[in-house]
Amino acid sequence: MRYALTFVMVASLGLAACAGVLGLGRTSPSHPFEHRAHVDKGVSCVACHAGISTESAAGPLHLPKAADCVRCHQEPHDRRDCAGCHGEAHVRGGAEIARRHLRFEHGPHTRAVKGDCVRCHVGAGERDPAAIRPAMATCFTCHEHQDEWRTRDCDACHVDLAAEDTPPASHLVHDGDFVREHGVRAASARDLCASCHSERSCAACHAAGLAPALPSHLRFDEVRLSGLHRAGFRSRHADEARADPGVCTTCHGESTCIECHQRTRVAPGAGARSPHPPGFVSTARGGGAHGVEARIDPAACAGCHGGAGEQLCVGCHRVGGPGGNPHGRTFSSTKDKLRDLPCRLCHGGGP
Amino acid sequence: MATRIHGLRVALLAAAAALTAVLRADAQSLRLRADAIAETRSPAPAGLVVLQGEDKVRPWLGVEGLVWAGAHSGSDADVLTLHVRLREPHGLGELRAGRFVLATGAVRPVSLDGVSALARARWGSTVEVFGGTPAAPRLGDRSYDVLAGGRVAQSIASRGAIGVSYVERRSRAEIADEELGADLALAPVRWLDVAARSAYDVTSPGIADALVSAAARSGPLRVELFASHRSPGRLLPATSLFSVLGDFPSETIGSTVRWVAAPRLDVLASGAGQMVGGEVGGNGWIRADLRLDDRGDGSLGAEARRQHVSTARWTGLRLIGAHPLGHGLRFTSEIEIVIPDEPRGRGWVWPWGLAALAWRSASGWEAAGAIEAASTPEHRYEVNALARLSRSLGIP
Repeated sequence: MRYALTFVMVASLGLAACAGVLGLGRTSPSHPFEHRAHVDKGVSCVACHAGISTESAAGPLHLPKAADCVRCHQEPHDRRDCAGCHGEAHVRGGAEIARRHLRFEHGPHTRAVKGDCVRCHVGAGERDPAAIRPAMATCFTCHEHQDEWRTRDCDACHVDLAAEDTPPASHLVHDGDFVREHGVRAASARDLCASCHSERSCAACHAAGLAPALPSHLRFDEVRLSGLHRAGFRSRHADEARADPGVCTTCHGESTCIECHQRTRVAPGAGARSPHPPGFVSTARGGGAHGVEARIDPAACAGCHGGAGEQLCVGCHRVGGPGGNPHGRTFSSTKDKLRDLPCRLCHGGGP
Repeated sequence: MATRIHGLRVALLAAAAALTAVLRADAQSLRLRADAIAETRSPAPAGLVVLQGEDKVRPWLGVEGLVWAGAHSGSDADVLTLHVRLREPHGLGELRAGRFVLATGAVRPVSLDGVSALARARWGSTVEVFGGTPAAPRLGDRSYDVLAGGRVAQSIASRGAIGVSYVERRSRAEIADEELGADLALAPVRWLDVAARSAYDVTSPGIADALVSAAARSGPLRVELFASHRSPGRLLPATSLFSVLGDFPSETIGSTVRWVAAPRLDVLASGAGQMVGGEVGGNGWIRADLRLDDRGDGSLGAEARRQHVSTARWTGLRLIGAHPLGHGLRFTSEIEIVIPDEPRGRGWVWPWGLAALAWRSASGWEAAGAIEAASTPEHRYEVNALARLSRSLGIP
């Protein structure tokens, strides 16, 4: 019983110590502004955010200053600027970003909702709001924007989505393991992706066959980047490729393997080491492991033995050759075996 | 080869002319980023230049270029993207010409020197056609000569879209590949996303590639189920000798769970069963990310991974840390330890580590330096120093 009590106390102390780190407790003096308390006291929003009901798109932000606070709070408890603790810097920063990147006027909206600001700023009515700035979904509750959504015409509200660099909060959320997911989602909605992402987002990885410009290579200091090529990928690359056959061809061309293997002298040639284990090709029945490996990931073989290197296979596997029939049981083709490539290499007697 | 070089020159001149037109307009939106990277492992420094221009006066015109330049073992320079984008102001149409990454419907990402045109109707129909030659590194050999195809799609009550596509690759006038594709994206309710894609190989009839995923969100939890089918032999051009070995697909089915355990603590876990070459295996990983401040400038992360399929069997552990030092400075470090089940002369453990110091100024300058050390299957130990200098410019 005594041990259990000690354990509970130590665990509680540990949790309390961790609470700040985990974000459960506050470590900075600032906190969300007490909008709810002001709403409960019947203070009108425009009493502090004066002028917002007539604001134009290019107007000031109408964030209250200390002078506005002391009109009511005539004896403040502290001489410091009210905004240092009441309200969070990132919320004010968010308002500035919104002003820069959104075409929005508070004036007509305030009139449309008859001064009921909480209708959009739902967070203002909550005791511990996560955000004051409305999510885009809130806009969609009144503005259908069906045509704009279908035609990806975001310019009516967003000045420049690519430059905004703000991940969406309420739609198309990029959470989970998005690197793994993005391909299947982009297949059906590339034009939707393009409404925020410029071409270089794709080219940074998918043009890897042209140049070694991967984000993990260039931004080596961004350790939170996820993706296949992080950290000691060079050590793992052979095993990664074997674990997911064909995945390398998503970005890499056939010559990628041979170029690097020649540079690092892990390729056929004088003084080079073979990447294949002993007995990979054998004259015994079954021919060694190379047949099985080739069927599992033929793209890996083509990486070094493609093009003219295919003659290496033809030498044994041509019709009547000692290597026998290389076609698996599931093989089928609509090609003419005497005329079309690659069939004629073995069936037609040559290239 | 001469024709290809001439073709590229024409494309470069066209893009440069369009870019000049953009630059000459007043009040342009122009973004420029240049990175120079040097590492002791490479023979000479390399660089990446990104130039993106959009004209506010003519919002229908945009130009984007991404150029790699450096002495990287024969790769002196190459253009990753360089294209002109014309866009109907209300999004009803778009035309891209130059070098760009094409990925839509059944087409897996391909760098293309060509043209892509897209038209959208207000009732949600989309028609896209594309064609060109695949971009080859340094104007070298291509695995096929020409790619052409298209996609037709229809949105479903703003809740999703369904599309069908066709793509054909030709090599020396012969069909190297012919694929039919179908894709689907649905968000029937706010908490559920479903997406699927499939490509059917017409030349060697069978499914070349298929993916499906469904993700559901509820509060701090997000659960995703996914499955994939890939036939590696069908991903090669049908003119390759390695495409005739038969259909030995690799299949995966699994789930990824994300849990926001605390405001600053995210936990991600994934597990999947795999079938590779008739052998059953699997993989799994769990990762925890702890942000040390509200903005996430400082963070700690840990990841454990297990891969167990075919001859790829290893266990890995990765730790990351980032700590802001003030005045725009940030220290980051990363450690990875991989233990293969069967060393086969490659060493019984492959440790890798990196320590980096980065600096970022408000004016757009960035600099970073790092020391990387590893013991790899090829080298008992290896130390590499890296440095990067970057400059971003944005003219609103």
